[in-house]
Amino acid sequence: MKRYAYYLSCINESMTKEVDRSIDLWQKDLGIEMVKLHESTCCGGSNLDYVSPRHFALVNGRNIALAEKLGLDLIVSCNTCLMTIRTAKKKLDESPELRKEVNDLLKKEGLEYKGTSNVRHLLWVLADDVGFEAIRAKVKVPLKNYRIAPFYGCHILRPSTVLGKDDPLEPSSLDMLIEALGGTTLPYEHKNRCCGFHTLLVAEEESLNVAAEALQEAIDIKADFIVTPCPLCHTVLDGYQAKALKQANVHSSIPVFHLSEMVGLALGYTEKQLGIKRHIVS
Amino acid sequence: MTGATELHTEEKREITLRVHRFNPQVDSKPYFDDYTIQVEKGITVLRSLNYIKEHVDASVSFRAFCQAGICGSCGMRINGISKLACTTQVWDELSKCKEPGVIKIEPLRNMPLIKDLIVDMDPLVDKMKHYSNWIVSSMPEPEMGQKEFLVSEEEFQKYEKATDCILCASCVSECTILRAHKEYVSPAVLLKSYRMNVDSRDAIHDTRLGELVKDHGVWDCTHCYRCQETCVKHIPIMEAIHGIREDAIEVRGAKDTSGAKHAEAFMEDIEKKGKLVEATLPIRTNGMAWTLQNLLPMAMKMIMKRRTPPPPLLVKPIKGIKKFREMFREMTEHVKAEQKSHKK
Repeated sequence: MKRYAYYLSCINESMTKEVDRSIDLWQKDLGIEMVKLHESTCCGGSNLDYVSPRHFALVNGRNIALAEKLGLDLIVSCNTCLMTIRTAKKKLDESPELRKEVNDLLKKEGLEYKGTSNVRHLLWVLADDVGFEAIRAKVKVPLKNYRIAPFYGCHILRPSTVLGKDDPLEPSSLDMLIEALGGTTLPYEHKNRCCGFHTLLVAEEESLNVAAEALQEAIDIKADFIVTPCPLCHTVLDGYQAKALKQANVHSSIPVFHLSEMVGLALGYTEKQLGIKRHIVS
Repeated sequence: MTGATELHTEEKREITLRVHRFNPQVDSKPYFDDYTIQVEKGITVLRSLNYIKEHVDASVSFRAFCQAGICGSCGMRINGISKLACTTQVWDELSKCKEPGVIKIEPLRNMPLIKDLIVDMDPLVDKMKHYSNWIVSSMPEPEMGQKEFLVSEEEFQKYEKATDCILCASCVSECTILRAHKEYVSPAVLLKSYRMNVDSRDAIHDTRLGELVKDHGVWDCTHCYRCQETCVKHIPIMEAIHGIREDAIEVRGAKDTSGAKHAEAFMEDIEKKGKLVEATLPIRTNGMAWTLQNLLPMAMKMIMKRRTPPPPLLVKPIKGIKKFREMFREMTEHVKAEQKSHKK
């Protein structure tokens, strides 16, 4: 059983609880164990870095230090948390002064940022540590009747100087996971585009236009569902779907699954167990 | 992938450029023309286009000038990605073709099309003007020519990378929000505004910033990083956009616009609970009236599915919040002390 420190994303603790619930169900089946970090804080959601760059370094230096204390890599299942924490790690690794300031404060909690733990997405753990062959061998209910549109989202790909796992122009890890689970992955032009989440409350019309385009293409290519490794993308594509498609004058709908739910389905768990019934679009 | 290896060892081969064509005076809609030519390894996409124009079809229209990645004229989409034709090797593109040996050439997106591969840059220039993206000297007229402006190295480093921009508009072409709304300021314009606003010789910082925080301005960027990823000069454009936001909050305060309020809410919540209180985020960003009008129907659906974020009182602070708050507040003191010493 390989162990990891698991970062609790705000959205998975409130609106998309089904993400962590489904990981809890199947982690042992794939020989991995996620140790939840209940002391971790919000990463700042790609906002704190400009509101206060130094608080940003402190908060995320601390999040990583919590994993380092356990001697484990920090695993994240929200794209924006991933990009944000990795950005902070890069800044801390590159600046001894910033690291010193952060570590002087972290001492109060008996913590230290050393830079020894890697920060990775759950998808990367499945791809690189568990491996697609091992996953294929564990599949109980192959997704063979499903045509699936993989929506990677931005912050698992860009900026590539911070992420660097998949080619941002031609990402493939999610496609390979779909195939390993027995599904058919569709050529989907919006796979590496944006969902519009980060401007939903500031420029709603623009955000919904962005989401509608991605939804429309998935409908046009006759996908059975969209799958995404990011709960923020899911919130727009599922929660705001009706509003986005209404604005775009599209009279149709498409289900959107979390990566963790898709894995759960193939490993034999039910929609009810995985929390799929909690989605807005069924 | 033996095919790919062979491609790289061959010195000469036949390739096809599938070029977007449209002449608004004759054509009812755009179409593609295929030009199959012999090219040698080391030839750029621009040289291939020049060859076609000279020897195959003189009517193909595109902009180009320096042929050295300096003037920014030959921005176009090559195999779907906005870049410069003059710095793009045909050989490098062959591995990215959807159809083997066929390189797709299209005009930049998000700008009106004039003909074939030529887009209208005027809307971009108009935005540069709208945001006054030039230096208005802070030196009094009589002193000009008498005195030097001294720029420290520290200051220059803030905008050194931004000055690499050659206005090729590749970032504009790839921008998510501009595609969703044509009035959006656009990344190249934000980069230039940032560059002017951090320049100590400039006198209109506050006016420019006042314009940038309005609708369709800096707060509408959705952090997709497509601009930065595409930039042919590898300029960290998002850092410039974040730089304007940081400046806006510092100079104009956190209650200035919905964008600033939204960003500041993260800071507040992290200090208070260690995590985000999502239930009140829309209200804190846009007020109660907006939230009721815009989100009520969706909130009802979410309640039915038990998807609503918990109300503030039910958001449990993280384990160890007291110690965390102490550290967080101490950092606030560090930042304040430094701001004070800066002002002195």
